Amino acid sequence: MTNQRETQMIDAFVDGELDLAGQLEIEERMRLDPATAQKVQGLRQLRETIREKADYHPAPAALRKRISAGFGAAPTATHRPRASVVSALQRWLGWRPMAGSFALAAAAVVAFNLAWLHAAQDDRVLDDVVASHVRATLGQHLVDVASSDHHTVKPWLSSKLDFSPPVSELQLPGSVFLGGRVDYLDGRPVAALVYRQGPHVVSSFVWPATGKDRNPEFAETRGFQTARWTHDGMQHWVISDVNRGEFDAVVQAIRAAESSR
Amino acid sequence: MAMEQDHARFESLAMPHLNAAYNLARWLTHNDHDAEDVVHESVIRAMRYIGSFRGESARAWLLQIVRNTTFSWLRENRSADVVALDDNDDSLQQVAAPSAEEPPALAMRNADRRQINDAIAALPVVYREALVLRELEDLSYAEIARIADVPIGTVMSRLARARALMREALTPSARPALRPVPRVVNGGNK
Repeated sequence: MTNQRETQMIDAFVDGELDLAGQLEIEERMRLDPATAQKVQGLRQLRETIREKADYHPAPAALRKRISAGFGAAPTATHRPRASVVSALQRWLGWRPMAGSFALAAAAVVAFNLAWLHAAQDDRVLDDVVASHVRATLGQHLVDVASSDHHTVKPWLSSKLDFSPPVSELQLPGSVFLGGRVDYLDGRPVAALVYRQGPHVVSSFVWPATGKDRNPEFAETRGFQTARWTHDGMQHWVISDVNRGEFDAVVQAIRAAESSR
Repeated sequence: MAMEQDHARFESLAMPHLNAAYNLARWLTHNDHDAEDVVHESVIRAMRYIGSFRGESARAWLLQIVRNTTFSWLRENRSADVVALDDNDDSLQQVAAPSAEEPPALAMRNADRRQINDAIAALPVVYREALVLRELEDLSYAEIARIADVPIGTVMSRLARARALMREALTPSARPALRPVPRVVNGGNK
């Protein structure tokens, strides 16, 4: 009775790699067929045992040293032409002292414009975040993968995105992890994690950041509390209609879960 | 200056994933010395290709290079390990079928570290690779497919078989041939 496809589907189910339809299909089969339920249970146990007991081999210090030593080595042939372009430019700048100050002024203008562009971009993302949150709560399509288990949600999201978002339940009284969905923000697919805090829905959007770490900045828009920060190469936007005090606690719990990973 | 920039970029992109790189190489080569050499060579290669990195997952990018370097190394030094595996071989599928009656959960929970490590180490190399990337690096099927350069369907069947072989190795009832071996009781004749 066990055929190849079924075995693989059960594996994919345990790995959270099935789409919603496939997931529901297996859940239904688990309900009707104890043998399927047992297989799922066995696979989960195997997974946990391997994750818990198999050796993980971190890179030895000696190897790190060997690699860093390599970074200090003499330039390779392929890099020389570029280095000479740089020194030619320096010579040219040396001959024309005025050019140096022009370059400085130009750099200042560029930096100012970049800062302004960043602010404008943040505003645009904020609009997207509010729209996405409202759309989800209005349409009752909060999640694509409904599970309170981050071991199910994380692999599912990773398989749909080109990055693996941090996913965790929150250590916060009254908080329920509803699951995740893929959304489209700031011109790219992002992970949306959805929590329920009492009667309120909290959406937490995550995608890879380009800049440095940033501490949370809070804002209130159209009655929603929002917060944004960058941590460990990931950009976070959190939005909810809870009150400010509770929202702070939620943001704190998300950041705590993230750094304890 | 350009080279320093490349180094800085490389350090920020790839060095955070050095543990993952080493873990994969270590599991595939079975020993520390070879794993260090392979990862070192991979890093040199990765440095050379840093220009081709287009901002996707840095971990998958580095692991792909480590994977290819390791397999070249294995082919040269341990050709017996990399016998071509037919991913559509039905006989393995039969091994893979778990029996519904056995309660394997208990045996697995009771397995100790050494049993788990030995069972993983004994897997054919492509199954081992899939399992290590999935369970120890928590990578998605899509990322594993990219790293191993195979279709996602192949990742699925390799993982399913890797797990079936693990289950078989860890469940005493599934290998009755090993059980009747009489145990010599030390000091029994004294």
